[in-house]
Parts: sequence; C-alpha cells; structure tokens
Amino acid sequence: MPLGPPSSAVFLQNSTAGFVSTPGRTPTSVTVHPVALFSILDHYLRRTDAQERVIGTLLGTRSDTGEIDVRSSFAVLHSETAEQVAVDMEYHHTMYELHHKVNPKEVIVGWYSTGSNLNTYSALIQNFYSQETAPHQAIHIAVDTGVVEGENAGVRAYVSSPVGVSPKPENAVFVPIPCELLFKETERSGLDLLASASSTLSVAHPSTDLDILERALRSVSDMLDRVLTYVRSVLAGEVKGDPAIGRYLMDTLGSSAEDLEKGGFNASLQDTLMVSYLANLVRSQAEVSARLALTSAPPS
Amino acid sequence: MAAAPSMAAAIAASMPAPQSAPTPAAPLYEAIPASMSKVVDIEADISIAAVQLDGLVVSKIIKHSRELQGTSAHGLLLGLDFDGTLEISNSFPLPHHFNEDDDKSAKGVAKYQASMLRSLKEVQADDSIVGFYQVTTLGSFFNQSLVETQAIHQDRLRHGGIVIVHDISQTARGNASFRAFRLTKAFLDAFKRNNFSTESLIDHRLTFSSIVEEIPLRVRTNALMSSFLETLSSGSAVAADGKPGSSSAALPPSYSVLNLGGAGVGRNLEQIVEALDAYKTEEGNLGYLQRQIAREKAKAEAYVSKRKEENASRVAQGLAPLPEEDVTRLFKIPPEPSRLESVLLLGRIDAYAKSLEETASAGLVKMYGVRAGGA
Repeated sequence: MPLGPPSSAVFLQNSTAGFVSTPGRTPTSVTVHPVALFSILDHYLRRTDAQERVIGTLLGTRSDTGEIDVRSSFAVLHSETAEQVAVDMEYHHTMYELHHKVNPKEVIVGWYSTGSNLNTYSALIQNFYSQETAPHQAIHIAVDTGVVEGENAGVRAYVSSPVGVSPKPENAVFVPIPCELLFKETERSGLDLLASASSTLSVAHPSTDLDILERALRSVSDMLDRVLTYVRSVLAGEVKGDPAIGRYLMDTLGSSAEDLEKGGFNASLQDTLMVSYLANLVRSQAEVSARLALTSAPPS
Repeated sequence: MAAAPSMAAAIAASMPAPQSAPTPAAPLYEAIPASMSKVVDIEADISIAAVQLDGLVVSKIIKHSRELQGTSAHGLLLGLDFDGTLEISNSFPLPHHFNEDDDKSAKGVAKYQASMLRSLKEVQADDSIVGFYQVTTLGSFFNQSLVETQAIHQDRLRHGGIVIVHDISQTARGNASFRAFRLTKAFLDAFKRNNFSTESLIDHRLTFSSIVEEIPLRVRTNALMSSFLETLSSGSAVAADGKPGSSSAALPPSYSVLNLGGAGVGRNLEQIVEALDAYKTEEGNLGYLQRQIAREKAKAEAYVSKRKEENASRVAQGLAPLPEEDVTRLFKIPPEPSRLESVLLLGRIDAYAKSLEETASAGLVKMYGVRAGGA
C-alpha cells in the first residue's frame, strides 16, 4: 500500500489536477442489484488459475442526491503482474456499447473487483474508471467472495480521493460508503427460488402456487411459535419484556379478518367460484374446438 | 504493453520494464477416462431429457423482464449439454427491435449477437447458443414469431435448442416461473412443409397442446452463490444493511404469497376476452376462405361436367369430342388457408384460462384458510 502512515505531509483533497473535478455530487450511497452481484460471482468462478482477482465494469444509474444504483456488471479482461497492470480498454468499450444497445439507461458508474485488498493497482484502475465516468466520480465495489479462510463474504463500496503532496494516479485513498442490496418486490420471488434451490439440491420446478403457499404458512407458523415462546417466558418472568416488541406484536396481531366475516366472505367466494367455473368452461371449449378442427375435413 | 496488441495499454505501473503478457497455457489433451466415455457425446446422440438453469440466468431474465415492461423481452441462452442435461450457464438480452425495416434490424441483431459471443468467450464464459428465452404474461406464450424462431433454432442448433418461458405475472404473485419447451416432431414436420391445412393438421394430429413439449427444468445455484445467498438471508452484519428497525438480514423473508391476489383477475379476464375476439375473427376469415374455395371448386366441377355432357352429345351425333381443357387454369382455386394462427390463438386462450383457474383455486384455498383461522 502506498498510503503511508498518516503524517503531516499527507492531506486529503477533493479536487486536484490529477483527478477530474466533480460537478455532480459525490456518491453518498450505493445500491446493488442481485444480477450485478451474481455476475461478479460467476466471473470469479470462471477466472483462470493465474488470476488472483477479477475486475469488471459496473453499470447503473445515478440519482441527483448522490445515490448510485448498480444494475448490472460485465467482466473485463485484465492482467496483473508484479511490475504492471493492464486493462483491456478495447474490450471494455465493446462490451459497454453492446450493453448500451439493450439498456440505454445504464451508464458506467464504476468498477468491481473481488477480494478485499486495495492496492496500488486498485488506485490505478480507479483512476482509469474515473476518466470513463467523468464528470462523475467512479465508485469501486469490492466483493469478498468468502473463499479465503477467515474472511466473511460481503460487499463493500468505496469512492476515492487523491492523497499525497503531489497528485499521482497511483496515490488514492478509498473512502467507504454505505452499500445495500436492492431489488423490486416483483423480483423477490426469483430470489426466493434461488434461495430454495441452494438449500435443497434438487428442487422440483415449477412448484405450484399451493406448494409455495404451504411453505410461507409453515414459516409463519414457526414465527408464531417463536413469538409464543418469547411471550410465555416474559409472562413467567424469565426474560424482561421489551416494550417495543410488545407494541409491534399489538399492531401485527390486532388486525382482524372482520371484513371477511360479514358476508364479504360469501360474496368473494361466489366471485372466485364463478371465475373458476368460467376458466374451466373456456378451457374445455378451447379443447373441443381444437378437436373439432381435426375432424372437420371438407368432404372432397 | 508491447506483447498483445489487443491489450491496450491503459494503465502502467511505475516499473517500466515491459513484461510479455501472460501467454495462455497450451491446452492439454487428456485421454477421456473410461467412466466418462459414455457421457461424452460428440455427435449429439444423447437427447436432452432435462434442463438445468443457473441462478445467474434466473436473475438476469427477471431483471430484463422487469425493465422491459410488456412481453417483448427476449434473449439468448448459452450453455452446454452434458449427458442428457442441458446446462444453461449464461444469457444475454437481445435488443428490442422496433418496427423499422426488418432487414436492417435483423442485421444489427446478428452483428450484436456475434460481437457479444466473441466478448463472452474472451472472459471464459460459455459461448454456445442453446436456445432463447421469452417473457410472457399470464402463462400464454404462443405466437408466430416464437414458433418461427424456435423452428429455426431447432434446425440449426445442436440438440435443437430449447426455449425458456418466463411468466412475469406469476413471478409478481410470488412464484417465479420458468419453464422449458421445445417443439414437437409433428409440429416441426408440418412447419417445414409450411403446410397447416386441415388435412395436414389431421395427419400430424396437431392441436395446441401438441405444438410444444415441456422439458423438466431444475434451478441450480453454484456453491459460491449458495454461500453468498446464505450470508444474505442469515443476516449477519457483513451484508451491510443499515436500516434501523428492519431485521438485519439483507434478504428478509417475504410473505407476498399470502396476499389474496385478486388484483390480476380483471386483467386476466380481459386477456381472455381479447384472445377470444381474435380467435373469432380468425375463424371468420378461415370460414370465408373455405367458402370461397368451395365456390370455386363447385364452379370448376360444373364446368367439367358440362363439358362432359357436351362431349357425350357430340359423340352421339358422331362429331369429334372437344378436348378436355385444363380446369385449373380456368379457375383459380385458392390454396387452403393456414390454420396455424387459429391453433396458436386457441393455445393462448387455453393458457390464459389455465392461469385464471390457478389464481382462482389458490385464492379459494387462501380464503378458506383465513376463515378457518378466524373462527
């Protein structure tokens, strides 16, 4: 690490000649879409034996408030030796153009690398990406894949600031910024599917609606059991009750199914049955129609 | 950076001595072990019995379908086949082509595709196309372009390729749905002859349910992703979720499936009515064409029999009979109309109805469940 011990000669600057000045706001937080994360992991799996880490480009959108939403990522070729580091710029540009064709809204926001060590090369690559993202600042995401003994899997996001008396591209300090996983509620089921696929090796797919309902109900039932155990132990005086939890429980369990009770149930039931009947009717009609088409050969 | 010209010198470290870029190790060819000799299949003899979908592809398809609202999202699947299982390991979206001149956009897509494949190969990703994916709503995926694309693929790709259908509306309801299909032999045969007349349909016993066959699909996550997902949902501090009040897991459990989910029913019914209308129109067209054919045929027959009568009377009078003229040249009998569209429409109606039925039945179970809980 070229970042020497903090001495009087070292100071932080936000804009110097070596770095592009930022008219936009400095990134304050980063959200990562699961797709970007999974692509990074896949890239890491497919690295060659000689590669210590892999790097790539992050694509996403910026908001005015300094939040960066990383939507996707692609791998970029690079080589690191003791003497030098090289990034295949041509490849990077080709890939960016290809991605841009499909998704014009996503722009380059920064780069990722696996592993948690930030070194001189990281600063150099960061400098390169700062030019790509100009006039905005580039972000760097370090994905710890958790394969190294003693390190936990995790994601960290950084922005860089130049450091040193005279600005040089290889001198930079990486300032961590908050990073969160973000996805839309509609994508949630996809993640659930992956999570269930990873816990059980052979998950039958597609699972029916009822299977999933059963799973959710079981999980709710488990949670109720947990709550019940907690409440019992509070009542028995073993644990001191937490008023905040009590209020949450009150709010959650206080809601009732009154609406369904008052005749709403029957009306809704009739609607649902009607819809079900209709659907079956349409299906059988379609089937009959398809069979009839096979028999109605014109007598010739 | 003198060594490889493609390695553009982007960043150079302080030491100036240019080292040659690492040359890729020459591939070593080893003898195939005996245990593997059965599963190695160069000629693509082992037919595909199952499809294995990687977690990366699942999330890529979901993302693509969310961003491109509507049913136009489609892309290519990359992977390998191994001992009867088609392992899909990667995918990329295809650009959405608008209705410009088709030739130009088709060329652009082909160029994009080739370029993308080359690029993926460079970073050691799989680069053989094994099929494509299509995003649909409410379970209905039959349309002409899907069938045509798949027919082309099945002709050209090794093992014929498959199509993965992803249903957005079901995913939004909490059950991510991915299904793998390929065209049946009977349909492909009819398609190759470009003959979807009634007789051809009868010969091939084609109904909407026999156009495609489903292949069992399994979702697989690699070990790295599994461990990562585990970390995310177990909720340790590493996942960097700082929201106060929420549970510390970045992937908290979700219960959206417990919603009654009656919101989509109206839309579903509308879709059915639309498809029925389209089917009615199509049937009308077919009927019209059918009648026209019958009329022309009747005319031709009348002409022929009249000529025969005339000839008979001429022979009786001892005159030379008039030559038998080519009837087909005099009367243009239109070719029998293709019934493909109507079959596909029926398939769509069936799929919509099926999805409606599923929603309704699940809703019924939930309603009774709530009542049982409330009582």
